[in-house]
Amino acid sequence: MANKVLGLTAVDQTSLLRIAILGLISIVAIGSRLYSVIRFESVIHEFDPWFNYRTTRYLVNNGFDKFWNWFDETAWYPLGRVVGGTVYPGIMVTSATIYNALHMLNIPVDVRNVCVFLAPVFSAFTAIATYKLGKEVKNATAGLLAAAFIGVAPGYISRSVAGSYDNEGIAIFLLVFTFFLWLRSVRLGSAMYGALTAVFYFYMVSAWGGYVFIINLIPLHVFALLVMGRYSNRLYVAYSTFYVIGTLASMQIPFVGFQPTFTSEHMAALGTFGLLQLVAFANFVRTLLPDQHFQILLRGAVFSLFVVGVGGLVLLTMTGVIAPWTGRFYSLWDTGYAKIHIPIIASVSEHQPTAWPNFFFDLNMLIWLLPAGIYFSFRELTDNHVFLILYSIFAAYFAGVMVRLILTLTPIVCVMAGISMANIFETFLNVRNLPAVETDASTDTTGSGAAAISVSVAEAKEKKKTVDTQSTSSGLSAHTEAGSGSKKSGKKAKGSNKTASKASGTTGSKDAANEDASTLDAPLTAVTTSAAAAVRKPASKNQPPNPAMPAFSPKRLYALFPKIVVMANFLYFLCMFQWHCSWVTSSAYSSPSVVLASRSPDGSTHIIDDFREAYYWLRKNTKPDAKVLSWWDYGYQLAGMADRVTLVDNNTWNNTHIATVGKILASDENTAYELARRHDVDYVLVVFGGMIGYSGDDINKFLWMIRIAQGVYPDDVKESDFFNSQGQYAIGESASKTMLNSLMHKLCYYRFNEVMGPQAFDRVRKQKLPSSVTLDNFEEAYTTENWMVRIYKVKDLDNLGRSHRAVSVLEGPKTSRTMF
Amino acid sequence: MRILGHALHRILQLSLLLLLLVGHSSSAQSLKQLQTQANKDRDGVARLDPDLFMKHVITEHKDYSVVVQLTALSPVYKCDACKTVDKAFRAVSRGWKKQSSSKDAAQRIVFGTLDMDDGEELFRQMSIEGVPQLVIFPASKGPHAFENPSPRGLTLGAKTSSPEGMASRLGELFGIEIKADVPVNYSKHLMNIATVAAGLYAVFLVYKYVDLRSLGRNIWAICTILFVLLMTSGFMWNRINEPPYVGQTRSGDPVLFAPTNSQQYGIETQIVAATYAVCALCIVALVRHVPRIQNSDQRTFVTFMFTVALILTFSYLNSVFRMKMPGYPFKLLLP
Repeated sequence: MANKVLGLTAVDQTSLLRIAILGLISIVAIGSRLYSVIRFESVIHEFDPWFNYRTTRYLVNNGFDKFWNWFDETAWYPLGRVVGGTVYPGIMVTSATIYNALHMLNIPVDVRNVCVFLAPVFSAFTAIATYKLGKEVKNATAGLLAAAFIGVAPGYISRSVAGSYDNEGIAIFLLVFTFFLWLRSVRLGSAMYGALTAVFYFYMVSAWGGYVFIINLIPLHVFALLVMGRYSNRLYVAYSTFYVIGTLASMQIPFVGFQPTFTSEHMAALGTFGLLQLVAFANFVRTLLPDQHFQILLRGAVFSLFVVGVGGLVLLTMTGVIAPWTGRFYSLWDTGYAKIHIPIIASVSEHQPTAWPNFFFDLNMLIWLLPAGIYFSFRELTDNHVFLILYSIFAAYFAGVMVRLILTLTPIVCVMAGISMANIFETFLNVRNLPAVETDASTDTTGSGAAAISVSVAEAKEKKKTVDTQSTSSGLSAHTEAGSGSKKSGKKAKGSNKTASKASGTTGSKDAANEDASTLDAPLTAVTTSAAAAVRKPASKNQPPNPAMPAFSPKRLYALFPKIVVMANFLYFLCMFQWHCSWVTSSAYSSPSVVLASRSPDGSTHIIDDFREAYYWLRKNTKPDAKVLSWWDYGYQLAGMADRVTLVDNNTWNNTHIATVGKILASDENTAYELARRHDVDYVLVVFGGMIGYSGDDINKFLWMIRIAQGVYPDDVKESDFFNSQGQYAIGESASKTMLNSLMHKLCYYRFNEVMGPQAFDRVRKQKLPSSVTLDNFEEAYTTENWMVRIYKVKDLDNLGRSHRAVSVLEGPKTSRTMF
Repeated sequence: MRILGHALHRILQLSLLLLLLVGHSSSAQSLKQLQTQANKDRDGVARLDPDLFMKHVITEHKDYSVVVQLTALSPVYKCDACKTVDKAFRAVSRGWKKQSSSKDAAQRIVFGTLDMDDGEELFRQMSIEGVPQLVIFPASKGPHAFENPSPRGLTLGAKTSSPEGMASRLGELFGIEIKADVPVNYSKHLMNIATVAAGLYAVFLVYKYVDLRSLGRNIWAICTILFVLLMTSGFMWNRINEPPYVGQTRSGDPVLFAPTNSQQYGIETQIVAATYAVCALCIVALVRHVPRIQNSDQRTFVTFMFTVALILTFSYLNSVFRMKMPGYPFKLLLP
């Protein structure tokens, strides 16, 4: 073969290119998630990750058995928490495994670093999984584009930057990879891939509650295929294997337990499993009956079974045999539900519906490539495309209802965008042989829609399994890969032009080695047609390229011009997309929120580290079993960084307990003191942003505390009491009496005017400060540098049994101490 | 609630004053008078005037409870919340009327309404600053007496302003089950039935006259794409938050786009969905339509046309986004 480069055949070259491109995509994916580490340090972010980090540390230090049986008495005091049974252990086990493996290789690395960099590393895996998925549904070009998209799409980066050590970090990889395995197992009818799907499904169950999405989408896919009359033995093998193994495996996670057998979320999967058995049986009956009779029988049976199934499901749910939908899940369907019934869910900002700028912010141009991708999927409509379409519909709906679910939408958007872009590239990057376009078009029209083609594809698949149905020319892939890969270098497709000229023939899952060597010399033109055409007319492959066309004739340039314009346009769009993604990641998604940064007028950055200062103070200056009361947002951080007992934390399972804390903070000082003593509280921690203008502080969250408290104690806490006579939620002098007397208000503004002066303003709310705040039952223990965190000690009972108020009246006003 | 608390205080004061002045009429008589007034009303809500209110609601010794709605329904006051609450209140009252067939039950709770028009003076005396309000004057003697018979307000939130919510909250307060009688919206049901019927008929027509095999997939494709377009352009946000369809400037000119990126107007969704659709259409046309054109000049022209359309649409989307998100650094043609 004359066209060898570096001693590699064309097929090898394309594989090498692909691997190189995937490697680059991985590097970009990891790199763009490191902003926060570079700007701040390698630190765990936000709230939930601190719990995951703490449990991971426990797992690494104490081993798996102890972890599994861990009862954490420091959380939810005095209730405690069974950690092993109430946690998705996937992410902790993953990090612990990596940690142990690294240590086995004598690479001394800290647990924290493993945790911090886990999500970026998994994002690289996600890119590879997306490549596999894209290749499975279309071709390598689409796969690479999809991988490049998901590597940098802000919708996914928002949950997977370094330090954001949360379930989603690994779950998206598992989601995509499970779907890839599922599609492959359906295409091949392979029990092995079905079992692999189940294994990764199990991993997903262990990692994230979002597994429910998989266990509903896959059955839905099966159901849709059945309704479309696309039952096949492949489907039967794939789903039966997956469902049985997957369900049994998922029940091994204590947190999931027997849910798959009785909750509504899992019933669709069970129902579909039953239905599939019936259909399989029907197919057996088909061999014994005349065709027409059978069709009628089948349709009637499917319809009536569906009705009976849904009816039975509703009935069982209503009679309470099957547990009703859980609140969080229910709020997805009835969108007004959470607002009215579950303030604790409605209070979380990421559970709000999504306005369109969010979509554009997180997905940019991919969002309008999605509909195009759906269209192309409908043109082809193999079993795989049915899945993609269903996935798009449901993910789009869920993302519309809840902001955070843009996360599950992102993979499918990337795949669909990859398909759209690959179509554009294939049409307009085909510069080798210009008449090709006409040939291409004519075969396309004679195919007249995907119906004919996909039917023959199905036949071809049945008959000749070695032919890859998804085939396209690897030469084209090489072109486009080079196009996407050389975005940065700007060296456009020069080298790959050569590669492409030699490379062709089918690629994909089947071994390229099986290919006849002669096909490698085939021109690009014929290969761009579908597999069906290739199967039908193998002779067309061997036509030589048109030799009459010199490389740079004016005519050729003229013919090339529109293509160049289109490609330049799309390359610019792609560059813009990359800029957009980097900008969004850098400006919106790279703040750890534990450490803050502010920029002074001269441009220098000032790091605000009050949270860790306060937690460190608690860790060093209080008894190890001191109970710290704070709003639930800070529970995990307190446990993780201060290592002290908390009353409530971010695992918001006990509404009453949270409401009690809300009530303490909303009550007047004496009531609060009473309640705090009854709950053994030693310290109260509040977050206050009035000094430096940090708007996410407790005063701004206070209304939610009141609302949640009111839900449980409607007689003691009333939201309307906290509004002043003008109906405003104010602080300071203009606040309502109840607000002024509330513990939260007092703790935040105690002694604040001593530093700010009498005329000063709260910098968040831009309102005048209260003139004097007295505090009798609590004493200030510590206030951080920027006053962001204030810690108060709950005073002991007076030795003489007097009230603290009486004591302070007796002793007179204390001379004010200076803070610093 | 401070306002209400204050108002209640005034009410108590007034009632004491009144007791001194009028002495006290018998409890049974009071009830009778209220019920006569209530029976005049279709929903069983007694329309109170200051006289009735003073004599029969704010009496100390009564063996029945009165739930009073303080409201201002006259269109002059433009009180939309009053109308909502009034509707719910009437539904609850109707429900109670139906439910309390026995004499004993009917004597237990009386529903009354006091309108701004009838008792402006009284409102001022009680220094009521906001309507609507719901105040309960509990029974102080008899079998259903409250432990603490001082009047109390009922917070009117989103939940308690609905008939069901108000009924359940009142039921909790009285320790009995109260069911609201929500009128069946027949016209809406009829509309729904008609729509479904028309839909079914349309499906039947399509099934009969249109060759589904050639069209089926396209219909599905169009439906799917429309659905996805709606969902990704903030349709659900509109459903849940119910924003105005278009905004307005001070001078009354319409504004299409809300100025912040966390808000949107109804029309925004449609504009954005349309831009997405145009962009997607350009892609599809470039891939599917362009290669089929035989004439190369024509093909070049069409290619340019779609490319320009795509660039313009995308830059429009970009400029809208820039407007909503100040500080967004990238732009494409349009500012």
